[in-house]
Amino acid sequence: MRKLAIALAAGAATLAMTLHPGSASAQEKKITVMTWNIPYFTEGFDKWVAAFKKVHPDFEVERIDMKGTELPTFYQTQVVAGTPPDIVDVQGGLWLQYASQGGLKNLDPYLERDKDYTDRINPQILDNWKYEGHHYGVPLYISKTLLFLNRNMMKEAGITEDPTSFDEIMADAEKMTGGENTGFMTLNFDWLYWPLFAMNGVEFVGDDGKAAFNTPEAVALVKRLADLTEKGVINKISWTGRWVEPNGAFAAGNVGMLHAHAPAFLWFKSKADWVNDESVGAMNMPGGWSTPNSHSLVLSEGSKWPEEAWDFMKIATSGDGAYAMGTGTNNLTGDMQVNEKLMGYFKENLPAVVPILETQLQDLDKLTGNWPFAQDAAIKDAFYPELQAALLGEKSAEDALSEAERKVNRILQRR
Amino acid sequence: MAGGADNAPALEGRRRGLAGLIPGSRKRSRDLALIWLFLAPSLAIFAIYRIVPLIWNAVLSFQFWSPYKPAEFAGLYHYEEMLFYDDAFWQTLWNTLIFMASAPVGIVFALAVALLVDTNIRGRNVYRTIFFMSYPVMTVAVGIIWQWLFNENVGLINYVLIELGIIDRGIPFLESFDWALPSVILASIWQVIGFYMIILLTGLQSIPPSLYEAAAIDGANALQRFRRITLPLIRPSLFLCFVVGIINSFTAFDLIFVMTGGGPGHATDLLITYIYSIAFRLSKFDYAAAITVVNFLLFLALAFLANRLAGGEAGAVKTGG
Repeated sequence: MRKLAIALAAGAATLAMTLHPGSASAQEKKITVMTWNIPYFTEGFDKWVAAFKKVHPDFEVERIDMKGTELPTFYQTQVVAGTPPDIVDVQGGLWLQYASQGGLKNLDPYLERDKDYTDRINPQILDNWKYEGHHYGVPLYISKTLLFLNRNMMKEAGITEDPTSFDEIMADAEKMTGGENTGFMTLNFDWLYWPLFAMNGVEFVGDDGKAAFNTPEAVALVKRLADLTEKGVINKISWTGRWVEPNGAFAAGNVGMLHAHAPAFLWFKSKADWVNDESVGAMNMPGGWSTPNSHSLVLSEGSKWPEEAWDFMKIATSGDGAYAMGTGTNNLTGDMQVNEKLMGYFKENLPAVVPILETQLQDLDKLTGNWPFAQDAAIKDAFYPELQAALLGEKSAEDALSEAERKVNRILQRR
Repeated sequence: MAGGADNAPALEGRRRGLAGLIPGSRKRSRDLALIWLFLAPSLAIFAIYRIVPLIWNAVLSFQFWSPYKPAEFAGLYHYEEMLFYDDAFWQTLWNTLIFMASAPVGIVFALAVALLVDTNIRGRNVYRTIFFMSYPVMTVAVGIIWQWLFNENVGLINYVLIELGIIDRGIPFLESFDWALPSVILASIWQVIGFYMIILLTGLQSIPPSLYEAAAIDGANALQRFRRITLPLIRPSLFLCFVVGIINSFTAFDLIFVMTGGGPGHATDLLITYIYSIAFRLSKFDYAAAITVVNFLLFLALAFLANRLAGGEAGAVKTGG
């Protein structure tokens, strides 16, 4: 009995020592980088690590790649566990809820100190990650919405000119609609549909910080969009799908126009033989309105090695590191010098994406849907279901916008 | 039944048997200590993974808390928010109740199938296998399969309905506020029906044929035999199916997540998917904790009610001779 008890106690002690995260591992010089669904980006990442090791030879770099649907969950569990990844690649407005709750480091002191780096980054792009006057992220690769045109369908419908206004987009969409064909489609996540509202003069919030979207113009617009959806001019997937569904539908070749962000092009090109630089056109939305959906690197407040992590972030987002990112994922970056070099690379190696990428650096003063709300996700969650109900004919536009206004204002007011 | 007077001699015999093997109270207490020692790891795991999170969740629901900053006392703030301002909470609660209420539909259908495959029809084992096959399929795969079946443009269901002339254009089953929840429920029933059938079949096969023979001799018709013999004797199986149905309605996360993501709007969100969404998409763990408390209390009440309906002896184990 005594021997058994001693054996059990010894076993428990061994197990505890094995599982305990402290002691040796706590002293480990290692930074962890979590990337957003780019598992194929290995060669470039290795280049980042090699460059980082030249500066910090005694440090190790651990990489975790997560799908977008899993990353927020994983990140937050790591934060709770006290072991957040030092650097995180985040998309859209996700960073806002982390930054507003004190989960991310304010990067202003680093940006002010390392002027050589900061001067390379496009300030309009950098300001995408500004919350309450402070920067919390640096651009990893950039993307914003644009209008893809199915030239084959336009030709069949006798459309020779690209649309120059919202009305023309919808008129062209009606011409292309019939049978299996629908004229227009948009992505709807992360405010990507908001340029449709912006180009019709609808503001989301006013100067008083309250919801400003419940106007007669907005009601008329929602009614019109709902009516066109009912008629099949606007593909219903616009309001129900996320990313794969609308892009897949456009790849099928029977959607006239797709309002989506730049990376959609290579996705649907990979799914459809008919897609090339002649059959698919790309243009900024009339008026230049677009919603950014760029990726940035942010630095966890709980990082044990913030200086080293910042060095890694600089390597990854500028110079050769940014070039590796651009060529490895076929995107432009925040580094203006690197973008010039990247455009040369794409002209030579991937000419089909050049017209698309050119739009990504234009009209940067017409970005919309990137409001720095502390509760960005909660506001989306309050607004979109109401709008969706109206667009799918479940509610009247008046009721939906009034209800959305009430909910959004409540979120804007509460803690 | 446990605790019943008829089991007392058996329990007493066991107790005396143990004591008979251990002469002396000191040795008895040492052996009891050994028993607790062996039980300790399981109890510790149960406490760490069940009891502590439950308590911590309840505490969290009365706080303002996020992973990024220290907690502050919130009182009933989250409960007030949930009960008086959050329409989505009420909708997801309602959806959960509808989802739960659909369990009897599946059970009735499974009972009909079980009665059919319990007869002496040819190939009954094949039918049993076919009906059971849906159950072991991964829920994610079930979700994807039904997503395609329900597709507005290329789905089999719309194709058949159009071919039969019942509709003239495809129904957007999963994109429609009216159709989305029934569609998801149908997929859920389809998946679990094989399991219900097997449970009910086991119950049916445990009924002694002599009871039916005696009833037939007494002139009872088929309906009377079903009502007076079959139903009462398969009550434990029906109860088990009902409990599984309740649990399913509280945990059908993966099916919803794959098929609709809770949409359109919150049309197919259940409490469990809403909790996940609030916690991990909106980073409002404190508020999610408050909804979890309600979810837990609801589940507790339903389990209690189900137990009462089953005669208050659910989970009881027959011991002794």
